Amino acid sequence: MYLIRKDDILTIAKALSSDYQIYGPAVEPLSGQTFFDPVTDLGEINLAAPIPAAPPKSVVFPQTERILSYRYAGGSAPVEIKPDYKEQPKALFGLRSCDLTGIQCLDRFFLGQEFVDEVYRYHRKKMFMVTNTCVKPFTYCFCVCTDSGPAAEEGYDLNLTDIGDYYLVESGSAKGKDLCEKLKLEKAAEKHRAEKNSRIDKSISQFEALSTESKAWVSRVMNRVTTGFAKEAVWEYVGDQCLECGACSFVCPSCSCFNIADSCTASGSCDRLRTWDSCSYEGYSRMAGGHNPRKPVEDRRNKRFFCKLSYSQSKKYLRPGCVGCGRCNWVCPGDIGLPNVAKYIRRETTSREQL
Amino acid sequence: MKQKPGVCTFCGTGCGHFMMANGGAVERVFPSQNHPVSKGRLCVRGWNIHELLNTAQTIPSPLIKQNGQCTQASYDEAVTHVAGKLKSFPPSAIGFLASPRATNEEQFLLMKLARAVFKTNTISLASESGHRNSLNVLHAATGMAGMSGSLEEISKAEFLLVLGSDITKQNPIIGSEIHKAAQAGAKIVTIDSRRTQIAKLSSRFLHITPGSLKLAVAAIARSVFREGLIDADFVRSSTKGFEQFSASLASLSDEAITKGTGIVIKEFQQVAETLKKAKTAMAFFSSGISGLDEDTIGYIFNLFAMSGKIGREGCGVNPVAGLNNLQGGYDMGCAPDLLTGFQRLSDPEAVKKFSSAWGVELNTTPGSSVYDLLASEPSKLRALVVVDHDEGIIRSAEAIQKLDFVAYIGSYTNRFMDYAQVVLPMARYIEEDGTFTNTDRRVQLSKKKLEAKSGILPGWKLLARIAQQAGAAWNYAGPAEVMDEIARLTPAYANISHKILAGAFGGIQWPCNEKNPQGTPHFDLKKAGVTINFAPVSGVFDLPASGADFPYLLMIGKAQDFWHQNNLMKKTFIPLREYNATLLDYPEGYVEIAPETAKALQVRNQWQVKVVSPYGELPLAVKISEDVKPNAAYAPYFAKDKIIKRLIGHSEPLNKGEDATVPIRIEKV
Repeated sequence: MYLIRKDDILTIAKALSSDYQIYGPAVEPLSGQTFFDPVTDLGEINLAAPIPAAPPKSVVFPQTERILSYRYAGGSAPVEIKPDYKEQPKALFGLRSCDLTGIQCLDRFFLGQEFVDEVYRYHRKKMFMVTNTCVKPFTYCFCVCTDSGPAAEEGYDLNLTDIGDYYLVESGSAKGKDLCEKLKLEKAAEKHRAEKNSRIDKSISQFEALSTESKAWVSRVMNRVTTGFAKEAVWEYVGDQCLECGACSFVCPSCSCFNIADSCTASGSCDRLRTWDSCSYEGYSRMAGGHNPRKPVEDRRNKRFFCKLSYSQSKKYLRPGCVGCGRCNWVCPGDIGLPNVAKYIRRETTSREQL
Repeated sequence: MKQKPGVCTFCGTGCGHFMMANGGAVERVFPSQNHPVSKGRLCVRGWNIHELLNTAQTIPSPLIKQNGQCTQASYDEAVTHVAGKLKSFPPSAIGFLASPRATNEEQFLLMKLARAVFKTNTISLASESGHRNSLNVLHAATGMAGMSGSLEEISKAEFLLVLGSDITKQNPIIGSEIHKAAQAGAKIVTIDSRRTQIAKLSSRFLHITPGSLKLAVAAIARSVFREGLIDADFVRSSTKGFEQFSASLASLSDEAITKGTGIVIKEFQQVAETLKKAKTAMAFFSSGISGLDEDTIGYIFNLFAMSGKIGREGCGVNPVAGLNNLQGGYDMGCAPDLLTGFQRLSDPEAVKKFSSAWGVELNTTPGSSVYDLLASEPSKLRALVVVDHDEGIIRSAEAIQKLDFVAYIGSYTNRFMDYAQVVLPMARYIEEDGTFTNTDRRVQLSKKKLEAKSGILPGWKLLARIAQQAGAAWNYAGPAEVMDEIARLTPAYANISHKILAGAFGGIQWPCNEKNPQGTPHFDLKKAGVTINFAPVSGVFDLPASGADFPYLLMIGKAQDFWHQNNLMKKTFIPLREYNATLLDYPEGYVEIAPETAKALQVRNQWQVKVVSPYGELPLAVKISEDVKPNAAYAPYFAKDKIIKRLIGHSEPLNKGEDATVPIRIEKV
């Protein structure tokens, strides 16, 4: 446990920038939108900025990436294959705890199962995680319902908490501790930890008043989804509102489904691309031969919420598949972000008012 | 900050997005949270636009075709060839086909190239009929040739009427905004002959017989009139022409309405009462390739005028353009009879203004629609310049092949290139600054985000090169200067410039001029100081008749299929897969019929049937759906060519646009 003056906080980012590409929250000036992207100038970093519009998922799992290139001239000519691994060290500076949890879910999907995804592993190999405790929730947040905030508990190298004039800096790994020592950060005392805890308590107490767009009784809904007590008619009510845009999957910190496509030129050189995919698309579950086990949109929609909320899926992530960031609620052109669906399931909403 | 704000360029909604470019590629796209229209949402097309922007299927260099052989050429050679060829034809034999996807600056310069350099007024936009009908009606009624409401104000409307438009598929984010308004308590009424998604999300769905939309709207207007639900003060103080309209409703009878629409009178009355109760109301109908006819739009407008739901916040009659710059194309005068901002070529004052600004004497002989010329036999059209076209034009393929000269200007490879003697590549919209005007008259600046591939010229520069080669002194420094010229010549755009747009996040809605320096969100009756004219209507309701020989009414092209048969979508991965999901199941197209119909015919999903009309027959696969009524059938847009050729023999019935229907019978094979 260390302390750093608020004005000096970027010295940590600066120290990291010699070894890592720094990613951090920055506000686009014209629109006021926060992005968590590679920073071109450390001065852009704004730790007080609202939750980034997009999670940092794209750092380790880009929307579109070339995973290998190959050349095949046809016939019995040999195929030259070149994997395209991105090993560049990356530091995520000022990550929100929900988004760290999202990366942990991705880790368990890509690395923690029978097959290890090499492309992902290279992305993830040399990373430095600096989390930032949310001392105030945002409009769409509900991490308190999904056990993923407002403060990170594990998986970070450093965790920052705004405790007034200082940030409390907690190290969660040897390389985190080394950096603090190297920077000769002032040691923090127990009272600083107590201050952090009181800030967290205050943050949690503010959800009722500030997080007005997202209220989800996730545990209750997990129970209903798992035990089959979510009514078919509710899924139809949800499915009717799905515009099949894919946005919920794209902004979800834990959604990991992808599609593979080859982009080839006439000369026979090809790029194998991996792109984000979404269970809201009809083509996603279509099988060779044309059979589609999830053709109607409501079947595709309930797939998403089974994935996020059922116990069987939680075994994969060792936690709920939802991290409570609320992004699916604000990008949804229907009205079926996860917190809303949780509400429809609990209230058994199945119809809309007629004239 | 590597994220650059921009405008999505698929449909006419004009959603805001951010792009992150890395090297020569667009790494990702992300919705713009605070954008006034899209508020953080994008549809499946918008979310995957980077796949299109990264495609290798672009036109690599100018091409000249001689003796059937295509050879790469320099811009100099190709431009010289085009200018020389065009000069060799009389002006009346030259046509220009503008793209509803090109920027305003490119549209304007193409219009200027046609009229000022090659002296022809034969210039058209693709998908011209639908939107032009809307603009004609709205301009005659309000003086404003564009949506009278505003997308930003959908949340302020208490009543939303959606007419014959599969809006959550065609313009998903507008559909979304309507749905969100409903979730917040607004009433939605959808009138359609097919149960669309928005129908399912409505507070009332009037599932009408195909071809009876106009009658259904007239029926609501009649209920408003007969039940004393008109806004009498508004009609008296702010409108003229109500008497003719109300008189035209008198000839309708309850029996005729119910027989024609399949809906009982009480339902129309309930809709009329809901409209009356609502303080604010908007109507939405699609206005693209197969938009509504002027008469139907006239009835819609009149319904809203008699109800006092026009000319103030949260109100409006709103045509929805299917393509991103269709509105801008008309604003820039890409029509035989129009100059910019709906100024008429028949107006001597306007012609004088343009002639003196451009230093040429404009030809005032009206031009013709390129499509009309292509369809006429023999055609006086001999040379055609086409900009950036989707494949809809291929329906005129035979006529185009007969032309003496065709030049194609575009960014992406396209089947149209096969018909062209000269192909001129131009930079894509992210490779140059340019503006687009969406369906609610919102002019937005899209900034350059990538360098064009080596040597590829931006559209404005390419058009200037052609003009210079043809002897005109065009010396624009860039697209911003083109916009300055547009502003000088166009009252509705008078205060618009790239500089102002660069600081106006989310764009500015025209008219933007001295009187409206901040732009104009909705048609404001007080501010405009005009009298609203009721639209003249025919009082004629020709309903397609089904009979013993042809018992089903086939809807054609209505509720256009998700993807517009779009040249652009085919260059992506994820949207292409979705497009193919339908094509793989139904490679030759399908006919959608009700479960009752399928039972009567004893057919199942994907079985082949023969669809027979009085003009011909067509084999199609069956798709069973509860979305059509038992007396109706639906064939999607991608089978439209075949339908024109084989079921109706000519395209005339399609002039009814969204409401086009053909009586058919279906035979099991």
